[in-house]
Amino acid sequence: MSDIVLKEVSKSFGVVSVLDKVSMQIKSGEFIVFLGPSGCGKSTLLRMIAGLEEVTDGEIYLGGERVDQLPPNERGVAMVFQNYALYPHMTVRDNMSFGLQNVGTPKDEIVRRVEDAARMLEITQLLDRRPAQLSGGQRQRVAIGRAIVRDPKAFLLDEPLSNLDAGLRVRTRLELAQLHNRIRATMIFVTHDQTEAMTLATRIVVMNNRRIEQIGTPMEVYSRPATRFVASFVGSPAMNFIPVAALDDVGGKASVTFAGQSPVETGVPAAGLPTGNLTLGIRAESARITQGEGAIKGVADVVERLGERTLVYTRLPDSTILVAEDAGISQIQPGDAVNITIDGNAAILFDESGKAYHAAA
Amino acid sequence: MLRNHRQEMVVALLFVLPFVLIYGVLFLWPTFQMVYLSFTDAPLIGPGEWIGIENYVEMFDDRRFWTSVRNTAYFVVLTVIPNTLIGLVIAMMVSRLKGWQQSLILAMFFLPYILPVTVVYRIWNWMFNVQFGIMQYPLTWIFGKATPVFRTQWMFMPAVAFVTVWWTCGFNILLFLSGLRSISTDIYEAAALDNASRWTIFRRITWPLIWPVTALVLTIQLILQLKIFDQVYLFVQGGRPDPSMVMVQYIYSQAFQKNEGGYAAAISVALFVIVIVFSILQFQVLRGRGQK
Repeated sequence: MSDIVLKEVSKSFGVVSVLDKVSMQIKSGEFIVFLGPSGCGKSTLLRMIAGLEEVTDGEIYLGGERVDQLPPNERGVAMVFQNYALYPHMTVRDNMSFGLQNVGTPKDEIVRRVEDAARMLEITQLLDRRPAQLSGGQRQRVAIGRAIVRDPKAFLLDEPLSNLDAGLRVRTRLELAQLHNRIRATMIFVTHDQTEAMTLATRIVVMNNRRIEQIGTPMEVYSRPATRFVASFVGSPAMNFIPVAALDDVGGKASVTFAGQSPVETGVPAAGLPTGNLTLGIRAESARITQGEGAIKGVADVVERLGERTLVYTRLPDSTILVAEDAGISQIQPGDAVNITIDGNAAILFDESGKAYHAAA
Repeated sequence: MLRNHRQEMVVALLFVLPFVLIYGVLFLWPTFQMVYLSFTDAPLIGPGEWIGIENYVEMFDDRRFWTSVRNTAYFVVLTVIPNTLIGLVIAMMVSRLKGWQQSLILAMFFLPYILPVTVVYRIWNWMFNVQFGIMQYPLTWIFGKATPVFRTQWMFMPAVAFVTVWWTCGFNILLFLSGLRSISTDIYEAAALDNASRWTIFRRITWPLIWPVTALVLTIQLILQLKIFDQVYLFVQGGRPDPSMVMVQYIYSQAFQKNEGGYAAAISVALFVIVIVFSILQFQVLRGRGQK
């Protein structure tokens, strides 16, 4: 078993706190993605699990054993670094063997494991080369291979795709997903790229400003974000946020009105909503251009034609920009008056602190 | 864009001309002169008769010449490798420090290097002074009596070598430190995760990755120490210079004390050849080892 449990883990460098009481449970075999903007503490958290950063406060358990005071080598985890950190003076074979040699694995066992991993990653023909003779994608594979041969309890990957060019990144992402399906090992992957998080994760840990904002499956994080930060960070284009001018209770559901617009009925229960300023969050695909009368009226500002759909950046009377979606073949031109209908069940209300209120599931 | 190649050539020549001139006047011409001089019986100043290889024949039979070669070689053995290893060890310790502590310690190790050799000589002459030198405490404890280090034949070269290492290792520390800093911390972190012990990390990561710097330091040291003169010349003052004579010192004494310009030139050519052969040989061997 290689469950990973974090209990109120905190980290500070001197007086600067970088992580504040982070707790989570990771089940064996999960593919967990730490997602957040740079500086949110996600890499530090990963390095603390690896043992490369000391834990200021809190506990870390790996497979039931408390490890936060153990040196990195006694934790049984393997790490793939952002710039791969291959040993430049060693061949690929030596790079992959080094960890096994250090624990006194028999020679033929090392050869077998290295060759198995090389075959799996299709780098057999590269085994006698040096890192400098490899392309970025090949180095990436070697770094993963170096982790695989050690048969670790968990793979820790620190933004491993960020140094690859766009095409290779997409391909490697796919291969990483296949690799996880095949070896079923626990993987923790750090990224600031929400597409990587959405495509790879069994669960995403969204982090911001030293804390966990939400832990959930990609679709939970996308459709039912726990906070306004998560809503704005995940999804492209970013979720629309429109200030609510008036709030009514229509049959137990919240009905909201924006400045100069007709009321919009949402699926969010009216009971329990806080008083004070609310903001409505709606994704572009749930705010659709309509030919008939819509609840929201505005003027098309910019029209982005993406092929399968069209994004219409609509200026509302109070100057808020609302990104609405139209069909791929859209007649709308910048400057046209547009009507927009909002799918109330997909709408989310946020209070001033950023907490989200959803329609009943 | 089309370019006027001839004009470019002229500009390029103009730029390198000052260097070529200075190099020619101050290095190439004197070198040729020295080689020419070595085949004459010229005094220090003024021309001499062409005597062919007579100076070289004399040199091969000259016991004091061979003594100076042996002493120079002994000094090289006592300084080059110890100085390099000590530089590496201290650099590795300094590199573990951070911030102002590192700067302070580094400055302290580098300080002797900026001293002129005469000051170094004064400091250590006092330190080893038989009557009041602080080094006499450990020496008395070891040998049971006060010991005049620079007047004791077998101690002379090791003591001068010791002072030389103290004087010059700051520069090597600096070279090693910059080499150590260029090794990415990620690699050490990867090695820590790879179960490498401290010794393994040194043997399989640091040492091979620092090797180009080590080769450079060894070569610089070799060339520098083959040309040893000042320290030996200063420390031997008041004593008998002959037993501890090194090559440059012998050249100096032949040229400036005995007025034997031609013979001194012949010894200089010998030293020149030794320096070139050994430094090229060493550099090739070291480089080859690094590429294995």
